[in-house]
Amino acid sequence: MWPGVPAASTTARLVAERLTDPTFLTALAGSLRRMAIGYATVVVIGIGAGLTLGRFRAMDDLLGTLAVVINAMPGAAWVPFAIALFGLTEFAIIFTIVLGATGIVVINTSAGIKDVPPLLLQAGRTMGARGTKQFWHVIVPAAMPRIVDGLRLAWAFGWRALMAGELLVASVRGMGQFISQMAKTRQMPELVALMLIIAMVGVLVDGLVFRRLERSIRVRWGTAS
Amino acid sequence: MAIVLEGVSKRFAQNGQSVDVLQDVSLTIADGEFVCLLGPSGCGKSTLVYLIAGLEPPTAGRILVDDHPVTGPGTDRVVVFQEAALFPWLTVLGNVEFGLKMAGISPASRQARAYEFIKLVHLGRFAQAYPHQLSGGMKQRVAIARALAMHPKILLMDEPFGALDAQTRQLLQQELLGLWERLKITIFFVTHNVREATVLADKVYEISARPGQIKRQYPIAIPRPRSEHDPRLLTIQQRILGSLEEEIAKVVKEQVDAEYILAPRGPVVPADRNLGSHI
Repeated sequence: MWPGVPAASTTARLVAERLTDPTFLTALAGSLRRMAIGYATVVVIGIGAGLTLGRFRAMDDLLGTLAVVINAMPGAAWVPFAIALFGLTEFAIIFTIVLGATGIVVINTSAGIKDVPPLLLQAGRTMGARGTKQFWHVIVPAAMPRIVDGLRLAWAFGWRALMAGELLVASVRGMGQFISQMAKTRQMPELVALMLIIAMVGVLVDGLVFRRLERSIRVRWGTAS
Repeated sequence: MAIVLEGVSKRFAQNGQSVDVLQDVSLTIADGEFVCLLGPSGCGKSTLVYLIAGLEPPTAGRILVDDHPVTGPGTDRVVVFQEAALFPWLTVLGNVEFGLKMAGISPASRQARAYEFIKLVHLGRFAQAYPHQLSGGMKQRVAIARALAMHPKILLMDEPFGALDAQTRQLLQQELLGLWERLKITIFFVTHNVREATVLADKVYEISARPGQIKRQYPIAIPRPRSEHDPRLLTIQQRILGSLEEEIAKVVKEQVDAEYILAPRGPVVPADRNLGSHI
């Protein structure tokens, strides 16, 4: 093994210790709060912009490429930009989450809007669904599987961006701050335990929320594999 | 509601060249008539449904419904598609209510009306089910209920039973006839199954392959319910089959090989064959 990497039993013990340590739990809560604020912003802006781009061709021509460019940028690459703009603040971290995860929601939402099966549109039209009614009652629901795909990816992207942000904005209390301290003082076992917790939170939210949501939607929409 | 088609043609652009799908189609469907349009696959049958539905404009000619030209989709003409085209995010009830909701009918009265039509197609127990939980035949029942709930004057059906097994198909044919007699609507029904056409229709229009033109029409004055073994029905079926074979040969020649020669026909061809789908 690599020097200093702890045994599984040591790591398990440290994970349990951390999860009962009030200082750590405060930091974890801080991280989750930032993630919640950032993610909520991503959902609102991403779906809003995605629906607009999907609906209006001119908007898509104008801003579609921007969404692709923003999405191509790794979340971590926004951190220096955020710090330069807002200083070493919590807001800089939230800003990083938003820029790191919004693009994928915009792209998936607008693609879903554009890829609605023509048959469903035609069925709707013969029953009087046109214009705004068609948009809200046929197009948006039909695009839902793609929208949820985007939301799930955005959660993963946002979680990465949060960690990148917290590592560099180390003055803000959170998981990132905890990790950087362990790294500086070379406390490898504690560091590994923390990394494990970060991964666990990611897996837990993905499994409990997004996989379930996606699965139920895929079954209902008849696209389950 | 009477439907009149006057010199209707439709041309599509396909891979840079234009294809004449329908050419100079003229026909008149009387109020309350059950008309079947029969022809091989790829002859523009579905296109004709789309034109009457107003989902596509004709390239030439006019389509009149009760003397008014068709300019777009209208809820007086509702389509039942081959693939049911139900909304997967809505329950059976939600699907049947859909058109009524679009029409701005109040929740209470649209639900009552939806239930009435769900019961009419015998799906009362499945009102809360989602389309993915239903069989192919049940999905078509929902599609029919959804269309009828709009109280349309005309029901346009584009091979609605084409994907169903023989038993389900026969059952739904009988139920459709029952609904038609009860609701006194006009039905324009597209199929490539000769038996289906003759069992159902007052009049069968045969359409030729590329470009689609009305080739012949066969009035069927046999009273309903019709027995499938009625010799009069079999005679008409054989006449139609003989005429259709030429069309099928044309399609095969075009699609497979110009040197294709039609094999000599045996004395009896099964009328329940799905013409053209085997090519």
